[in-house]
Amino acid sequence: MKNRSKSWTAWFVMALCIMMLVGCSSNENQAAKNSQEEAEKSATLAFTWSPSGLDPHSGDSWEVMRSGTAETLIKLSEELAPVPWLAKSWEQVDATTWVFHLQENVTFHNGKVMDAAAVKNSLQRAIENNPGTNDLLKIQSMEALSETELKIVTTEINAALVSNLADPGTIVVDVDSLEKEDSYPAFTGAYMVEQFNQDESLIVKRYEDYWGEKAKLDQVTIKFITDGNTRLMALQSGDVDGATDISVDNIEVLEKNDQFKVLTAKSLRTHLVMYNMESPIFKKLAVRKAVDSLIPRQEIVESVMKGQGTAGVGPFSPVLPFGKLTETKEDVSVDKLMQEDGWTKNADGMWEKDGNVFEATLLSFPQRPELTVMAEVIQSELLQQGMKVNIREVENIDAVLAEEEWDLAMYSMLTAHTGSPYFFLEIFFKSDSSSNMNHFSSQTVDALINELHQTTDTEKSTALAIRIQEEVGKEIPHSYIVYPNTVFAVRDELKGFEAFPIEYYYNHAHVDKD
Amino acid sequence: MGKFVFEHLFQLVLVIFCVATLTFLLIRFSPGDPATIMLKANGVPASDEAISALRGELGLTNSIGSQYLEWLQQIFTGQWGESFVSGKPVISELFMRLPATLELAFAGLGVMFAVTLVLGISTAVYEQGAVDKIGRVLALLGSAIPTFWLGFLCIYIFSVHLGWLPSMGRSNWKNLILPATTLGLGLGTVYARVLRAHMLDMLQQPFVKASRARGISTNRILVFQVLKHALLPIVTMAGTSFAFMLGGSIMVETIFSWPGLGQYVIESIKMRDYPVIQGYVVFAAILFVGIHLLIDLIYLILDPRLRAR
Repeated sequence: MKNRSKSWTAWFVMALCIMMLVGCSSNENQAAKNSQEEAEKSATLAFTWSPSGLDPHSGDSWEVMRSGTAETLIKLSEELAPVPWLAKSWEQVDATTWVFHLQENVTFHNGKVMDAAAVKNSLQRAIENNPGTNDLLKIQSMEALSETELKIVTTEINAALVSNLADPGTIVVDVDSLEKEDSYPAFTGAYMVEQFNQDESLIVKRYEDYWGEKAKLDQVTIKFITDGNTRLMALQSGDVDGATDISVDNIEVLEKNDQFKVLTAKSLRTHLVMYNMESPIFKKLAVRKAVDSLIPRQEIVESVMKGQGTAGVGPFSPVLPFGKLTETKEDVSVDKLMQEDGWTKNADGMWEKDGNVFEATLLSFPQRPELTVMAEVIQSELLQQGMKVNIREVENIDAVLAEEEWDLAMYSMLTAHTGSPYFFLEIFFKSDSSSNMNHFSSQTVDALINELHQTTDTEKSTALAIRIQEEVGKEIPHSYIVYPNTVFAVRDELKGFEAFPIEYYYNHAHVDKD
Repeated sequence: MGKFVFEHLFQLVLVIFCVATLTFLLIRFSPGDPATIMLKANGVPASDEAISALRGELGLTNSIGSQYLEWLQQIFTGQWGESFVSGKPVISELFMRLPATLELAFAGLGVMFAVTLVLGISTAVYEQGAVDKIGRVLALLGSAIPTFWLGFLCIYIFSVHLGWLPSMGRSNWKNLILPATTLGLGLGTVYARVLRAHMLDMLQQPFVKASRARGISTNRILVFQVLKHALLPIVTMAGTSFAFMLGGSIMVETIFSWPGLGQYVIESIKMRDYPVIQGYVVFAAILFVGIHLLIDLIYLILDPRLRAR
């Protein structure tokens, strides 16, 4: 009898455990399920990065923007030109003063009216909380001239102000809503936040009082899946309808199946090789020129990127007006260039100078695995030409570039994320910039960059940006390898979720599902 | 018993101090500046002014000595600082993610025990039979197959191919099955061999022969005598495994997008979120020492000889 009672107790405890386990599916997830069931039309998307919160003026601003809930004063078009969004027009009063005319009838998700004072408060918070945004905008003061007019005075001439107001760090939010712990931030987008499950998902629903064209879907669930393989399999299994950042290695698998569509777009990213212009090997232009001519760009595009990219010419993607550089095909003799700098080939076929065999270190980093594969292709090509290159993979490339000795480095950057060339050119090529890690120095380029900073005329600034690139290109501080494509994949029934060069607008009002 | 607990608690404080100091130093001397990483997180350029301003805001411009003292003070006052990335208190960030990790660790432990018991008992009972041979192969595979591979294999078979289970996330109980299996299966097959060996050893003991002579059924002997004694080393190993699952389920959490501590700490390491990394290491140290203290206490309860000492 005693044993039987023990047995019943054991079964009871086990049943309790199972019930607890089932209960662990948490109320919030149950709420998510219920709301999903109630929704008439919904879709699930898989994004790569998981935000730590929904504060738009923190490092999570890009994720907030991608959710389709938030907007900025300016939007970047598919051609990357600044176009009206929450600001319907703008004018430059003098060199440092701008007036922005805001859209009327815009309300935040909590029902409050978005007026010039609210936008001023939001921008003020953005520049106070995020040094990066402060750096982009360079705002000295702001004044709400009327309900729909906002005056912005910059500390210096900032020709890129309008473009930079498209940066997600400038998202317009009702500042008061950020103080409340029991509600989500109130933005102005076509979708409003319904539920945020940290590290897991963000559920957004259509904002019925949206000032523009209303969202086609009632609800969108954004799942944060950091692992690329899991993201792919979540799409294949039907757990999600669309996924971002699909590895080029997986494109073939998806294309074989009619259920899926692979969507690609040229990105604003540039993969490049940096030369340390103070390294004994690469001090002379001739050697940099020789190495540059040996980089098999088209082979890298075809083999490493599986055709999902464009061979590099300059720092900016060719989708940008100032990225359309004319490629100068120059017949370069590697032997002649090397000999010009005093190198001779030894008996083993390796280049040698002052008794030292050519041996350089090429840095790479694991966060972008394709760069290391490219480094190996370059290493192999250079070895065939008598140049030994050792690849060194480092955890933090920026720290090593700044603090250690190096010869060559693989690097990757969104060179014009707001559609303006100024920021990248200033940071990487100005003589006094400490981010100018390869020690490029040119007074002509410095002067041209300063001129660019003050040029508001689009045509003139484009011409100037191209001229700066040509001037820089003469010294070859970088070898631009490839502009990789952005790759998304969707199930056939998902419409409107498309890859764009700009990486801000993933979910939007036109995303729909059959 | 009181002296035992006091001694172990003193050891816990000492361990926390050493771990806190070592973690602080290792992180500070490892390459990578949190301000630079945060500002360049989306692959965009960042100016020196912005980086310097953020470094100042994060308190990274203070001397290493004052940062260390502040950290120690925070640890022993239970504050643990604020995350560089989210700005929220580290302790609440860790506790927020702990339930998901605990849920996965308990489920993984459950799978491990189930596999250990089923495979361990059956291979001991049918020694040298087909089941035993299968058990041996499974143990070999369990110890040889990497967790990430098993995880992806499970997703491919049960989610993509069969469509039975969700591939990722933590929406309901079904989401738990694949990650728990990935976490517990390998260890279970290995521990089954340990259980089998101990059970075979116990089956040779005189008390088993005596029980058989008294006419007690084989099943009763197996469950209430042999298994009871053979489980003791498994309890020790399970304790260590549980601590491993709590601290080491990083890979499984990442593969299955499981919103627990493991995935969080990986992201924090990528971002060089010093307060979170330091907090996590101390948190893991407390868990490890705490679990071992608990195991020692269970030993005291299970084994009267230890109490006599």
